[in-house]
Amino acid sequence: MNSRWTDGSMQARVRKRYAAERRFRFAGLFAVGLSMLFLAILLFTMASRGLGGFTQFEAALPIDFAKTDLFLDPAALRGPDADQTIAGTDLEGAISKAAAETFGPSAEQMFGAAAARNLGRRLLKDPGLLERRETFWLPVGSAIDVAAKHDGDAAAEKLVAQLQSKDQLRRRFNLDFLTASDATDPSAVGVWGALKGSFLTMLVTMVLAFPIGVLSAVYLEEFASRNRWTDAIEVSINNLAAVPSIIFGLLGLAVFLNVMHLPRSAPLVGGLTLALMTMPVIVIAGRNAIKSVPPSIRDAALGIGASKMQVVFHHVLPLALPGILTGTIIGMARALGETAPLLMIGMRAFIASPPSGISEPASVLPVQIFLWSDEVSRGFVEKTSAAIIVLLLFMLTMNGLAIYLRNRFERRW
Amino acid sequence: MKEKMPLNATTPVPTPSAAISAEAQMRGPSTVKEESYQAEATAQREPTTRVPEVPASNWDVPETASDRLPKMRADAISVFYGQKQALKDVSIHIHDDRVTAFIGPSGCGKSTFLRCLNRMNDTIAGARVTGKIELDGQDINSSAMDVVQLRARVGMVFQKPNPFPKSIFENVAYGPKIHGLATSKTELEAIVEKSLKRAGLWDEVKDRLTESGTALSGGQQQRLCIARAIAVDPEVILMDEPCSALDPIATAKIEELIHELRGRYAIAIVTHNMQQAARVSQRTAFFHLGEMVEYGKTSEIFTNPREQRTQDYITGRYG
Repeated sequence: MNSRWTDGSMQARVRKRYAAERRFRFAGLFAVGLSMLFLAILLFTMASRGLGGFTQFEAALPIDFAKTDLFLDPAALRGPDADQTIAGTDLEGAISKAAAETFGPSAEQMFGAAAARNLGRRLLKDPGLLERRETFWLPVGSAIDVAAKHDGDAAAEKLVAQLQSKDQLRRRFNLDFLTASDATDPSAVGVWGALKGSFLTMLVTMVLAFPIGVLSAVYLEEFASRNRWTDAIEVSINNLAAVPSIIFGLLGLAVFLNVMHLPRSAPLVGGLTLALMTMPVIVIAGRNAIKSVPPSIRDAALGIGASKMQVVFHHVLPLALPGILTGTIIGMARALGETAPLLMIGMRAFIASPPSGISEPASVLPVQIFLWSDEVSRGFVEKTSAAIIVLLLFMLTMNGLAIYLRNRFERRW
Repeated sequence: MKEKMPLNATTPVPTPSAAISAEAQMRGPSTVKEESYQAEATAQREPTTRVPEVPASNWDVPETASDRLPKMRADAISVFYGQKQALKDVSIHIHDDRVTAFIGPSGCGKSTFLRCLNRMNDTIAGARVTGKIELDGQDINSSAMDVVQLRARVGMVFQKPNPFPKSIFENVAYGPKIHGLATSKTELEAIVEKSLKRAGLWDEVKDRLTESGTALSGGQQQRLCIARAIAVDPEVILMDEPCSALDPIATAKIEELIHELRGRYAIAIVTHNMQQAARVSQRTAFFHLGEMVEYGKTSEIFTNPREQRTQDYITGRYG
């Protein structure tokens, strides 16, 4: 027995080693705890501010269409041009007149664009309403909504109190927020247009960046000979992944809009620009994933007479796919949250209707959030937070889908 | 010493390997140093000039091929990795009714030579092969020979078992599939069954063909790789140290398998284990520092080598 291992100084060293280990564990725990705390604060702030954006106060408003000066013909609403007839009618005027009559002159502005839209829809559904006096629950304007949810100006607060005492105010889920598009009136805005724009943009990005990125990675890793050219390409790709995104926006502006004259503000151009940005990420992740496939698998396939391409597509690529998909998820998530390059190609325009194709003008969620956060009206505050929640849910869904696909590919082996 | 004791008692195979495997393990060149530390082992050790015991029965294979053309003929093969010459002027004939063993210390070029025979060296960047290799009289580097077909005709089993991460069935069926050897599913199933039976694996895996090939034990994986190579009906099978990652029992099974496959396929095997070469082969080539020092009947190489270097290697002076 050697006393070297049992004497005091050795014991002290051992204790010091364990103490260092404990300190390190504690530091790690602290870091994780801190980030969990920040995440919790973020989620709580967003939820507390944003969840209100998904609800909307409605007030009961009796309207007697016979007494209004609309002169709407029920027959016209049953005809083929009903949409245009409604659009050409001053429903907002009729509503404010009815509101002033019912709740007093101060209530003239209590309803907004959302109420007119709502009323128009109901009239289209049932033109018979025009012939009788009817009480409608209509979404109140932004000022009243804010006053009812939090606290607004004195006049609005007074009106809310008056409505609540008569039980003429109720809170409803705001389906319009998910189905409508951008508007000037915060009570009438919705995220559908931006959501659809984001979806179409991501589609274009995915369709371009994934195959091109993966095939580039496969070519560079499996087929290209190593020389000065491939080295230069590798360095360029690595640098591209680190280029600030707004530079890609400038590139998109210069090439896609000014040279190729593609439609401004369209998901097509947005998708092209974001594809440029995402591709290097996919190429790098793809090359690493392909590199990590053990060479013994390649030998095995070559040894029984598989061609180079069969080796790559039957063995290497399926084994590398989970890694490639991980890189793609990261790249796509970054592209989905990107604002700066899209501003450069004109996607910050006010678009009041959802795009019907990839060449129609559209907005995307992060830009929509940016635009709303710039608005003066108080009603936009909770709409901004609500849109952030929608964006995060969209991102979670997208990533969840990708992770599900990845796990399925992994389980096949 | 202790871990090798059970082997003697439990090895069930009736091949020559059983008779000498325990002793072979004890006296292998890698264990010579270790033995010298143990007094009892030293007492048992024979003088360094002894030759390993090999079963004479293994060498009694009739020499029918002597007047026939060799299956593969390698003529003046040199291999360069960049500037470095890994193989110098090697000429060898491989006959289709024999097992040819390549022995030699690590880095002597025996695996490099084996990989020339089915042009696996093509996949290594910077590797350059000179000389001529013929398969049935046809130059394998000529434009008339397709490298993909060559590799199907000259199959390979690697040092580390490398089954595809797919089902056992898929592993064996892959070769026939890509070469279009089976026209129907039943035909493919027949090929898979035949190959697994020849590789002595059928009874162990017939009920779990859909399980992953990587879930098998190391020895089973190596036999699966042999079944995979057999499935495309090759003419030559190259084995690159097929047992170096396996335990003695799995090794004995693979050696038994080599005995059974002999005569059906020309077999060339690279091995570090001289006793293994003595057990399974009829011809042995000794490589040293990129040169082929001696090539001849296994019986002669191991009992009466012509070259001093061969004598030194076989008796454990170096390697």
